[in-house]
Amino acid sequence: MKNRLPSPYGTLINREKSIQFEFESKTYNGFQGDTIASALIANNQTLLSRSFKYHRPRGALTMAGQDANTMVQLPSNPNALADRELISEGLKVTGQNYSGSLEKDRGEWLGLFSRFLPVGFYYKAFFKPRGIWEKWAPLIRKKAGLGVIDQQLVPDYYDKQYKFFDVVIVGGGPAGMQAAIESAVENCEVLLVDENPSLGGSLNYSRFDVEGTRGKKQLNELLDAINAKPNISVMTNAVCNGWFADNWLPIVTKRRLYKVRAKQTIMCTGSLEQPAIFHNNDLPGVMMSSAAQRLVHLYAVSPGSQAVIVTGNNDGYGTALDLDDAGIKVNAIVDLRDEPIYDDIAKAAVARGIRVETGTTVYAAHSKGANHVAAAEIRKIVSQGICAVQGEVITCDLLCMSVGYTPTYQLACQAGGQLTYDDQSAMFSLQNCPQSLQLAGSVDSLWSLDAVLLESKRAAMIATNALELTNEKVTDRVTENTLSPNHPWPIFAHPKGKEFIDFDEDLTIADIINATGDGYEHIQLVKRYSTCGMGPSQGRHSALAAARLVAAATNRTVAETGVTTARPPFSAEQLGHSAGRSFYPARRSNMHYRHLEAGAEMLQAGAWYRPAFYHFNNNDRQTCINKEVSNVRDNVGLVDVSTLGGIEVRGADASEFLNRFYTFGFLKQPVGKARYALLTNEAGVVIDDGVACRFGNNHYYVTATTGGVDRVYQNMLKWNAQWRLDVDIANVTSAYCGVNIAGPNARAVLQKVCSDVDLSAKAFPYMGVRLGNVGEIPARLIRVGFVGELGYEIHVPQQYGEALWDALMSAGNEHNIQPFGIEAQRILRLEKGHIIIGQDTDAMSNPNEVQMGWAVSRTKPFFVGGRTIAELEKKPSLRCLVGFVIDDSKVPMPQESHLVVDDKQMTGRVTSCNFSPTLGKAIGLAYVPPQKSDAGSVIEIKSLGGVRVLAKVVNLPFFDPDNARQEL
Amino acid sequence: MTTLDPTMGMRRSQLYRRHINNNAVFKKTGSDFVVSHYDNGNNQRTELDQARSMAICDLSTLSRTGFKGAGAPIWAESQGVKLPDRANRAIVQPDGCLVAKLSDQELLILSDILAKSHQVTALGEQSTSDHLENDTQTYLLPRGDSHCWLAVTGNQAAEMFSKVCGVDLRSHKFALGNIAQTSVAKTNAIVIRQDLGQTLSYFILCDISATEFLWDCLLDAMQEYAGSPVGIRALEQLVASQ
Repeated sequence: MKNRLPSPYGTLINREKSIQFEFESKTYNGFQGDTIASALIANNQTLLSRSFKYHRPRGALTMAGQDANTMVQLPSNPNALADRELISEGLKVTGQNYSGSLEKDRGEWLGLFSRFLPVGFYYKAFFKPRGIWEKWAPLIRKKAGLGVIDQQLVPDYYDKQYKFFDVVIVGGGPAGMQAAIESAVENCEVLLVDENPSLGGSLNYSRFDVEGTRGKKQLNELLDAINAKPNISVMTNAVCNGWFADNWLPIVTKRRLYKVRAKQTIMCTGSLEQPAIFHNNDLPGVMMSSAAQRLVHLYAVSPGSQAVIVTGNNDGYGTALDLDDAGIKVNAIVDLRDEPIYDDIAKAAVARGIRVETGTTVYAAHSKGANHVAAAEIRKIVSQGICAVQGEVITCDLLCMSVGYTPTYQLACQAGGQLTYDDQSAMFSLQNCPQSLQLAGSVDSLWSLDAVLLESKRAAMIATNALELTNEKVTDRVTENTLSPNHPWPIFAHPKGKEFIDFDEDLTIADIINATGDGYEHIQLVKRYSTCGMGPSQGRHSALAAARLVAAATNRTVAETGVTTARPPFSAEQLGHSAGRSFYPARRSNMHYRHLEAGAEMLQAGAWYRPAFYHFNNNDRQTCINKEVSNVRDNVGLVDVSTLGGIEVRGADASEFLNRFYTFGFLKQPVGKARYALLTNEAGVVIDDGVACRFGNNHYYVTATTGGVDRVYQNMLKWNAQWRLDVDIANVTSAYCGVNIAGPNARAVLQKVCSDVDLSAKAFPYMGVRLGNVGEIPARLIRVGFVGELGYEIHVPQQYGEALWDALMSAGNEHNIQPFGIEAQRILRLEKGHIIIGQDTDAMSNPNEVQMGWAVSRTKPFFVGGRTIAELEKKPSLRCLVGFVIDDSKVPMPQESHLVVDDKQMTGRVTSCNFSPTLGKAIGLAYVPPQKSDAGSVIEIKSLGGVRVLAKVVNLPFFDPDNARQEL
Repeated sequence: MTTLDPTMGMRRSQLYRRHINNNAVFKKTGSDFVVSHYDNGNNQRTELDQARSMAICDLSTLSRTGFKGAGAPIWAESQGVKLPDRANRAIVQPDGCLVAKLSDQELLILSDILAKSHQVTALGEQSTSDHLENDTQTYLLPRGDSHCWLAVTGNQAAEMFSKVCGVDLRSHKFALGNIAQTSVAKTNAIVIRQDLGQTLSYFILCDISATEFLWDCLLDAMQEYAGSPVGIRALEQLVASQ
């Protein structure tokens, strides 16, 4: 590790633990705590990746995970940030976006044609002639995108967790630490969040005094104070990735998304150092001053041996001192200011004899053919953005930029804060944040450490006062005399271009100017037209320069120009964080495992698991289903109907309530009887059905469809909120497990286990309901015939379900009772012409259309939808649901939603169709025009493969038209 | 000695197969079966220690009931039930059962975990014999079968819940006897803070058809806290150690 500095440099690394990893198939060594970037730079490997558009060589820019320059490929993770991702033993890393090798990229030739690839190039070049885009698209798509997705990846385990705090402080630098300490009054739960491995922010690497000791001293004091406060929780390596209403903060860590609720938030998000804009400002070795300081102090890495620092403030002088202390020769400080006002640190740098050039800029960086900066060409500044025609070339392998900052405004703006620009200080600042959000530190445009600490205390006081945990008199906002660190125009165009504004998208000065020239003058349009700020770093280092350029090009102020909207997420998050551990509730009846043991193929109906059919002797699906159908018709079968909705309607007005709610009449329904219950909405559309079982004068047990019960229940509550009838409504769907035992032998089987109910046809007729016991299980018995056979629905308390199943299967053993699934049930009901709501009805179906007019009372004064149905009945029907049969067994059987056609005209659609084992032919239901609804009419159905199939309309039901079987 | 098996009874928890697969030893409470403990011979940690740290227990076969309606609170009081002063609060009755007021007109009554209270059964029977629907606008709710009943215990319970529930259930924010009718792992649930002895504990009741789903979710969530199922014996020990 050639570039490693001695201890005590390297606060984040553990020199005792060496780690070996690979980059571009070459082995490197680093220390525990090293990022990929720091370890590589320590080994003199500064080229990390290639840029998106022109494949330019790129190296570390911020060393803070804030830019796209360091995106590298990990085996299972593309676009990993090399200055954020830690090395681990055996880690294999490669660069991204190159052809051939990282060092010699065949794609680099694209940069030569940059002149011909202006912004809007795609829009301008590929829209004519018509169809040309299809030719270009494959080529362009091949070039687009970054990184390679591992399609064989087995996802890691991600999850989510809620957290609740009184005060959340985002940013663990000096401001955040001080704010946390001050917020942590009695009974105040405080969370301090920072994206870095340790707290301290700039205290860890920046220069606050001539001696270079204050940062560490201040950090230790703050850490001691935090450690002494048990009500401060600290999360490091955690990014607050957005701000949502009511201080809802998503905080992303390696494998978990924390959903944090804060009563008060203090944003101490700091500021982002901005690049100077000059020719080749993207070369590896050109970096932010703070990046060089991070490398030196955090990782003990010397970022170069000879440095030039271009600066517009005194911070660049602090960097010079740091580099000089670390043994890096500072060849020049190039100060953009004509007459800089020095602070003590700058004076100290000058006193060390470091060469300083004022009123001067770096005009270009030169690589001399290598993939690294080799020299800086400096020139005197003549006027804003204009340089003298000649300058001087200074050798360097490190070029640091320190020309200003933008507040890390993204989260505060999401909270409603407004960004304003002050021409005097050439800085953005935040205004009008909500009352539950305070600012402190450099995000609040404060720069001296003393002012930052004072203002942080004030922000904390405002927060705790708002929470009524303190009642302190809040002082005025801190003012400071520190000079603005921002230079108003560190932007210098070059005849050869390549002065990059946006490193992510390879956008130069000319690209931004050209966008305004093409008429896109609004900053939001410039963004969309040029893609400036749309890359992975989301404009963190381009927004200020772009705003300045657009302002100048459109004769507006920067304040008028503004910046683009900063939407969440603040930084890239993995899909795993959003997907996380998802919950997909699944519902099972108590007899679920009996189905599995019997060989059921389960399907999900909503959240419910239901047996579709039962495998039998390796027969195919249809054979199994047909066998189940035949067994019900000829013998006895058992089906789980636990998923059916169940609603208790009780009270003095129960009958009146049902009479208003359903289409039928219920006032005269006798106790001990069930009645079909058809539900329509106000538009007269059929929305559900079931049976209303009257178990007492004031007690009905109403069934509803599996998928519709929640809506029925909600509708009942809604209507009774208006009607205010004396009735109680309870959804007891899950409280009851149910089966339907059906078939000619159903009574014989049930009789064996149900001795306290007279099951004879006379005592317990069709549509009767009884309370009794099946074995020792208390049960509600309902004689209904959805499948058209003698049958009993038996509803028992849920946890008795399996015992009920066992009892009936055991009792039916001598009759060879067999379970049947919902596929067989669908065929059985189809043979009886019973509709399924939602399958045979749609959002327009009224009762008469679906042949359910018999279930509508015309004599009662009101029911939901009654008025509409009455009006509809005055008009001719537009369609009818009819039964059809297909006698030709060789034609492809139609499926649901196949069209009924008349020549080329679509006239209806199939809603149900299946092969009837009982009838030996395909049968179905379809909507047809009224003129085709009479029995004997022939309809044409466009079946599978477009084959036209002729079907004959028949009267319903298809089977047992006298309903004799179900009334046995 | 005959090994007890839930299939010997009529009323079976949705989870009994999971318990059997986890070497559960069952005990009988009334005519139903509940897990006494799990026979995991190699596990050095006792279930009592487990319950103090992070555990889940299936109480679904213990008795519970509910009443709803405008007259329900008055009727319940007439039966000697001591009611919480406001909705979303639960209080323990002198005989150990727990009465939870879910709204001004809705009560949930849970047996004590020792199943010594007879109030739940008595109230159910009384309501039927009184024909409450006719007389008092009080309607029996089949809570014993509409909802499963799980106990989550241990000093890490609140932390575990924060992975599956958006309500702050930490002990200093969610007092003893507090009720949250909320969503747990996207499933509607009633969460009641009911410490067992000195151990932070919650009862959680959700739609009984989603029992297995919720059980799996909670087990998954408590994995990072080394949580695991325990039998009711450990809960009884928690209570006894008060």
